[in-house]
Formats: sequence, C-alpha cells, structure tokens
Amino acid sequence: MADLYKALAQIHAIRGQVARGTEFRGYGPETVAATGLLAGAAAVFQSVCLKSPGSSAAGYLAIWITTAALALLVTGFQTVTRTRRVHPGLARQMIFSAGESFVPAIGAGVLVTLVLMRSAPRELWMLPGLWQIFYGLGIFASCRFLPRQMLAVGVWFLATGALCLTTGTGSHALSAWEMGFPFGIGQLLIAAVLRFGYRETEDDA
Amino acid sequence: MLSRKQARQGFAYDALDSVIHERARLSVLTSLVTHPKGLGFADLKTMCALTDGNLSRHLQVLKTAKFVEITKDVDNNRPHTFCRITAVGRKRYLEYLAVLEQVIRDVVAGEKTEAAAEPTQVPA
Repeated sequence: MADLYKALAQIHAIRGQVARGTEFRGYGPETVAATGLLAGAAAVFQSVCLKSPGSSAAGYLAIWITTAALALLVTGFQTVTRTRRVHPGLARQMIFSAGESFVPAIGAGVLVTLVLMRSAPRELWMLPGLWQIFYGLGIFASCRFLPRQMLAVGVWFLATGALCLTTGTGSHALSAWEMGFPFGIGQLLIAAVLRFGYRETEDDA
Repeated sequence: MLSRKQARQGFAYDALDSVIHERARLSVLTSLVTHPKGLGFADLKTMCALTDGNLSRHLQVLKTAKFVEITKDVDNNRPHTFCRITAVGRKRYLEYLAVLEQVIRDVVAGEKTEAAAEPTQVPA
C-alpha cells in the first residue's frame, strides 16, 4: 500500500513540475478588462456619493473593499473555469501555482489595511498607494508564467503607488481617482497583455 | 464479485498508450516534459540511464509518433543532437499520467474494500 501512495505522490510531483514550466492561460482578458471598468465605475460612484472621503474613511473603505471583493470573486470564478478548460490534466496544479504567486500580495494588502485601521487611522491616506504597490508585487511574482510584457504592468502599479504615496496627502487624501485611474488603466493593460502577449504555440492551432 | 461501480467503469484503461507505456520511453518523455526547453542527447542519456543505441531507438519511436522533435546542429565542430517534446507529446503524456493515476487509485480502492471485508479476529 505504501508503494501505491508513493507512486501517487510521484505522479503529483511530475504534474507540479510540468505546471511550473507551463505558461498560465487561465486569466481571461475580457474578465480582467471588466474589472478595470468596475474600478472606473467605483471611482465615479465615490466622486458622486462621497464628497469628502478624507473625513469619511469608513465610506471610502466600504466602496473599495466591496469593489475589490467583487473583482476577486468574478476573476477567481472565471479563472477556475477557464483553467479547467485550457489546461486539462494540469488544472489543479496551475491554479495552485497561480494562487501561490499572487495570494501573498493580496494577503499583505489585507493585513496592512487592518493594521492601519486599528492602529494608525490617521495614516489611512496611504492605503491607495500601498494597495497599488502590493498589487504590483503580486504581478511581478506571477510574471514567471505570464507573458513577459506583464513586467511593464507591474512597473505601472509600482509607479502609480509611489506617486500616490508622494502626492496623496492633505486635500488629495483618498481621492476617487487615486484608485480609479491606476486600477482602471492597469487592469486594461493586463487584459491587453493577456490578449496579445502569449506566444503562438501548436496548442493554439 | 464486481461491485456495480466497478462493472460500470471497467478496467480497460484504453488511454494507456503503448508508445509511452514502455519503461525507457516513459523515462525519456518524463525527462522532456519536465524540461520544456528541451535536452541534449548526452543529458537525456544520463538522466534515463540508457546507452546511445537504446536512446536513439526509443527517440525514433517517439519521433515517428510525433511526440518529440529532434534537431541536429554543430557546436564547436562537434555534432549536437537536441530533443524537445512536442505539444502533441505533452498532451498525450498528461493523458497517460491521468490514466496511470486512475489505475493506482483503483488498486488502492480495491485493497481498502478487501481490508474492510475481512472478518476481524476475536480473541478467544
């Protein structure tokens, strides 16, 4: 019986190794583009409904955490179904590999949000910049199995994050477009890379 | 006697491709599938513990089945043979692996059923 379990473990290890050397095609460009539009819509909603976000951080957080949760839910569901279709026989390993690269960045973002809310509510203005930097780091970590052009999108998020941290204080604090613009454009850039960046292979034929 | 589930599913394992289901060729394909950029003939020979003649013969079988592509060039005035798995080979290998996994799972399930059916000995 032990030999059988050893054989199953070896098959699992081979699959994992194949997955690590495979370009991940589970992210759908259309869905990612839709999340970019969602970020734009959330920014418009905030600018209409939340006139002074600096004095109502709770409202600001409610809008953007809901938007992020919705985007993650839709992207997650679509990624799982698409991966099962485009990576038959490897789907579980590919999804695990993708999650392993991106989830730590999301986790760090959630953790920093909780810590700032609890211990340093005066510094909440930093959140948009920090979220963009963490998101950019998640993209960098995922680059090894995505088209090479994705590096440029990671740089975009790092740059916009740094800009938000530099200029996002005072009257600009928690402005709607600090989130809407970088994530709206960034997600559309990701969608463009996913749509046009993959190498043509015999699998596509 | 077979359970209804076993009778329905059967143990035919049609997808156990005979081209892949040979120890040396399985070894060659496993080496190549885990090195998607390809391997040189000498590296492949070492990894699979095969002789030159044996490896050439098995590579020819895999090439005929369109599972691998073989390129030959000259590097530092020495002939260099390079082997790479094709998309077809990769797909068929993964299908083979799935069936192999199912075979083992069926055996594990069978052994568990047998162990559960054995009467427990009550000490006198």
